[in-house]
Amino acid sequence: MMSTIDLTLKIWRQKNSDALGDFETYILRDISTDMSFLEMIDVLNEQLTREGKEPVAFDHDCREGICGACGAVVDGVAHGPDLETTLCQLHMRKFKSGDTIVIEPFRSIAFPIKKDLLVDRSALDRIIQAGGFVSVNTGGTVDGNSIPVSTETAELAMDAASCIGCGACVASCPNGAAMLFTGAKIAQLSLLPQGHPERKERARSMVTQMDKEGFGYCSNEKECELACPKGISIRNIARMNREFLKSFLLGE
Amino acid sequence: MWFLSFIKTSIGKKLVMATSGLLLLSFLAIHAFGNAAIYMGSKYFQIYADFLHGFPVLVLIFGFGLLLIFLAHVGVGLLLFFEKRKTSSRYDVETRVVENTFASRTMPYTGAWIFVFLIVHVFAFNFGKPEGVKVSMLVQQYFSGFFYSLFYIISFIALAIHLNHGFWSMLQTFGLNHPRYNKLISTLTVAVPLIFLVIFGGIPIYFMTGSAAGY
Amino acid sequence: MELNSRIPSGPLAEKWDSHRFQSKLVNPANRRKFRVIVVGTGLAGASAAATLAELGYKVDAFCLHDSPRRAHSIAAQGGINAAKNYQNDGDSVFRLFYDTIKGGDFRAREANVYRLAQVSTEIIDQCVAQGVPFAREYGGTLANRSFGGAQVSRTFYARGQTGQQLLLGAYSALSRQINSGGVTMYNRREMMDVVVVDGKARGVVVRNMISGAIESYSADAVLLCTGGYGNAYFLSTNAMASNVTAAWRACRRGAAFANPSFVQIHPTCIPVHGDYQSKLTLMSESLRNDGRVWVPKNKDDTRPPAQIPEEDRDYYLESKYPSFGNLVPRDVASRNAKEQCDQGKGVGSTGLAVYLDFGDAIKRDGEDVILRKYGNLFQMYEKITDSDPMVEPMMIYPAVHYTMGGLWVDYNLMTTIPGLFALGECNFSDHGANRLGASALMQGLADGYFVISTSIGHYFGSERINPVTNADAAFKEVENEVNERMQKLLQNSSGGPSGKVTVDDVHKELGRLLWDNCGMARNRQDLELALEELPKIKDKFWNSVYVPGAADDINQSIEKAGRVADFIEFGEFMIRDALAREESCGCHLREESQTEENEALRDDDKYSHVSVWEYKGDDQPPEMHKEHLVFENVTPSQRSYK
Ligand SMILES: Cc1cc2nc3c(=O)[nH]c(=O)nc-3n(C[C@H](O)[C@H](O)[C@H](O)COP(=O)(O)OP(=O)(O)OC[C@H]3O[C@@H](n4cnc5c(N)ncnc54)[C@H](O)[C@@H]3O)c2cc1C
Ligand code: HEM
Ligand code: SF4
Ligand code: FES
Repeated sequence: MMSTIDLTLKIWRQKNSDALGDFETYILRDISTDMSFLEMIDVLNEQLTREGKEPVAFDHDCREGICGACGAVVDGVAHGPDLETTLCQLHMRKFKSGDTIVIEPFRSIAFPIKKDLLVDRSALDRIIQAGGFVSVNTGGTVDGNSIPVSTETAELAMDAASCIGCGACVASCPNGAAMLFTGAKIAQLSLLPQGHPERKERARSMVTQMDKEGFGYCSNEKECELACPKGISIRNIARMNREFLKSFLLGE
Repeated sequence: MWFLSFIKTSIGKKLVMATSGLLLLSFLAIHAFGNAAIYMGSKYFQIYADFLHGFPVLVLIFGFGLLLIFLAHVGVGLLLFFEKRKTSSRYDVETRVVENTFASRTMPYTGAWIFVFLIVHVFAFNFGKPEGVKVSMLVQQYFSGFFYSLFYIISFIALAIHLNHGFWSMLQTFGLNHPRYNKLISTLTVAVPLIFLVIFGGIPIYFMTGSAAGY
Repeated sequence: MELNSRIPSGPLAEKWDSHRFQSKLVNPANRRKFRVIVVGTGLAGASAAATLAELGYKVDAFCLHDSPRRAHSIAAQGGINAAKNYQNDGDSVFRLFYDTIKGGDFRAREANVYRLAQVSTEIIDQCVAQGVPFAREYGGTLANRSFGGAQVSRTFYARGQTGQQLLLGAYSALSRQINSGGVTMYNRREMMDVVVVDGKARGVVVRNMISGAIESYSADAVLLCTGGYGNAYFLSTNAMASNVTAAWRACRRGAAFANPSFVQIHPTCIPVHGDYQSKLTLMSESLRNDGRVWVPKNKDDTRPPAQIPEEDRDYYLESKYPSFGNLVPRDVASRNAKEQCDQGKGVGSTGLAVYLDFGDAIKRDGEDVILRKYGNLFQMYEKITDSDPMVEPMMIYPAVHYTMGGLWVDYNLMTTIPGLFALGECNFSDHGANRLGASALMQGLADGYFVISTSIGHYFGSERINPVTNADAAFKEVENEVNERMQKLLQNSSGGPSGKVTVDDVHKELGRLLWDNCGMARNRQDLELALEELPKIKDKFWNSVYVPGAADDINQSIEKAGRVADFIEFGEFMIRDALAREESCGCHLREESQTEENEALRDDDKYSHVSVWEYKGDDQPPEMHKEHLVFENVTPSQRSYK
């Protein structure tokens, strides 16, 4: 069953944030189609190491599609051609022998490139720090069952909460917007009753932080929704817009 | 001031876009309704025009309001357009997963076209109007010109394209996105621009094709 | 080395209460004068950092990812246990305690486990309040499921992403503290060593993974929340960066290591498919509820599964364990799968897999029912293997999953170095020789949210802690050692790569050695052999490993190299521990200690203790100490699944 393919890779190599980057071309032979995309890069990196060259730097950790560490733009598509799939879960059987694959880092003004495919996404952390939480201290909380939450609400909140913070939405957005990421968190916490007391403040401060980080605005291109490995819907952006409007019209 | 901090944010700007868009849309709707009188003949259209001009102050306020809304829409639109230019073409290979519609891609351009059109239009029917010619007659005069009519038709096509993205985009910006209504919204996104196209675009055709013989 | 477990006196149920009462407190106004370092931001670390900052301590938190949200805890799927008894099915704190102690094959401390069961209920309340979207019943109450063979439904879950949601909850609490200045977060910092001053842990030396700079940070206490060391085996279900470095470096500085050979091997993972394989993927245990495990009866039967008739199939779990069948515990299922494959009956291209067949379940319940239950898992399986379990039986094989062993800690979670605490998977405390499903998340959060605050208060309240700064000689000395070590890792690189090996080459070799000899089933001979082989691997590493790049740059090769070097050193602890424990218990079978039916045989007379290992120097074997386990509230019983 095992079959192998030969590939040409054009990978973005950049020494550090200040250096100018460029594409390097590599040839890989006998790549098993059962490999994941990252395993294919592992093979390349072993090959480079044996040749005395520096391997390609890239972020990754769980390799199960849940930590959100991995990600690159493959042939122009964030996380590659498979829908609702992170780069680590993309498999080489999606490619044909003889293919040339162009691999670039996630690019955005808010995501400085640190090296090769490795970028700094801490801007997303700062958006969460601005208000993506419920202000409860440890201890002294009420019993878990004291506030009922309908299954429907819990499911919608869970849909939004599945965001893995990978930044593919930003990478794929023609405007480099982080609306899907921010919207998902605002939506989760505005759906659940636990998030209600702070919802106005939250919408305003998270959006303000998002702008401060240099993310673009949204022109409703829907690109993010399709790049998102977790299938997060732009309905969450609509919800954020609503929360934001309310926070200005009705907030103190 | 809260409005200032509001307008400074990305979503604030988007909401200005959407609100001004909605107001322009409502104006268009009224305008279209009035203009539909053309199809009933010159007499009725003139009655409508005279009626309007019976309230000069109102028309003035209305006109200024419209100008303001318009400027807001164009201003913020331009701002967003330039911001967008900063971020696009980042990748060596550009692939769009959703083939983004022609409409969304061309928003600033269709918008600009509409802008030019409106200047021409306003000059033609208000400031540049020849003395003593009745509006109803003026319409007939202008639209007997082929190029002038063509310009109008193209402009309304541009408007339709603009709204083809603008309509649903506006609702999304307002936060209206719900599986129950999304079908309706996507129908309206096609229907609303079409209605405008038929009513406005129909006028020059009405005159050009000679269907207006009894006007 | 003195091992004082500091278990409070009094009846089991009152120990935690009386302990909290007897512990010293720090006046709220004084707390901001104390600085605590938290290394790791998984469930244990993030919850601890947030909680301590809420109390007013100054916290410096470190993680090796680009964001604290990416810790390995994120990958946990199944759920988290809590003795809420919401289902009214007879659960209680005592039952959760009992199940956990028994599941751990009576190799854990009663007092710790009881406390864990007690605080489990508060964890759920805490997480709900943070906005964790747990699954709900139609009436709006929290839903539960039964997990890992438990007879009560006490597992709370958020789809198959419980770990993710709990971690994001803790991360949000941490983010709030970062925002308010209580926590200073240092991302992309790998802890390289602990700094001990006057016998107390006073700081850490870390490597900035972006600039390569070696930095040191001082504090009044250090918390290690750095997770498990399953990656010693190269292939495991752990995330790629999971490592033993932090714990091992602490161990070298005097923190004793408990039960290093207690490693859990999970039976349902997707098999290895080639040597390029980088890690293994866990498939939920729930699959065994409906799937039937089998192999061909005859060796080297290469027919595709559909062409193997019933009479040529061996449903070995069902025939060996008629009452439990396919639902035998993890270790039994794993061991038997390996046994079948060792006999040459394994399937798949590598012969290292067994079938998990849903054919009968589909016939019985219909495609719809099975798809509804397992659709997601099937999809994930198909994505990876390109084979549809609805059509063809799944192939599974055991994989290293969790490490029960860890830094030895007392009831306060303090290691044998005063001021150095270990939380979460990084310590050894609660799971004995085997961990129950859905209990690791519970333990990580119990340690971080509810236990550590008392311990820290008591430590600061009762110890005299002299001021130090990171400019002190003690810090500079460790910094120098770390710098030297980085240079040593690069020592072979000047002459180019020819004739040398890569870090992965050596890591794979180490993994193979441990898997073959210190895995599910062990025996003296193999372990002794492994002990002889290990130094060769170590020599190979230091003499011929080629590490590209520089130390003062982003260099993922040097990161890997440092971790592998530590795995190799630590491997000796694992093997020695396995060698010393001449009984079968929990997760592993000691071949010399079996019943007549070839089942695991525990030996309570000789081995009812925690094996605690003390590092004695690079050229000396470690010394073993014993913490004897006392059971006052439960009677150890032999497990039997026949
Ligand atoms: C696939 C899988 C599924 C699982 N499912 C379940 C389940 O359903 N239920 C359950 O209860 N348990 C489950 N577990 C086990 C559970 O997830 C872990 O035991 C638990 O999450 C460990 O949490 P932790 O906080 O101790 O460590 P981790 O989450 O591993 O965090 C370690 C932290 O330490 C940091 N770190 C590590 N080394 C260093 C260093 N040298 N320097 C600086 N920082 C460092 C890392 O950056 C990270 O932040 C599962 C495990 C796996 C692998
Ligand atoms: C009668 C005339 C017009 C109407 C009815 C109209 C309507 C709309 C509507 C409804 C939207 C959607 C707003 C949203 O996404 O929330 C929109 C967007 C837009 N309009 Fe107009 N518009 C008109 C004229 C113009 C003009 C003259 C310009 C000028 C240059 C313009 C430029 C834009 C741009 C660039 C956008 C997209 C904003 C974005 O990227 O999201 N429009 N318009
Ligand atoms: S919304 Fe989707 S694409 Fe964006 S960060 Fe979250 S998971 Fe990634
Ligand atoms: S490596 Fe974790 S999502 Fe890809």
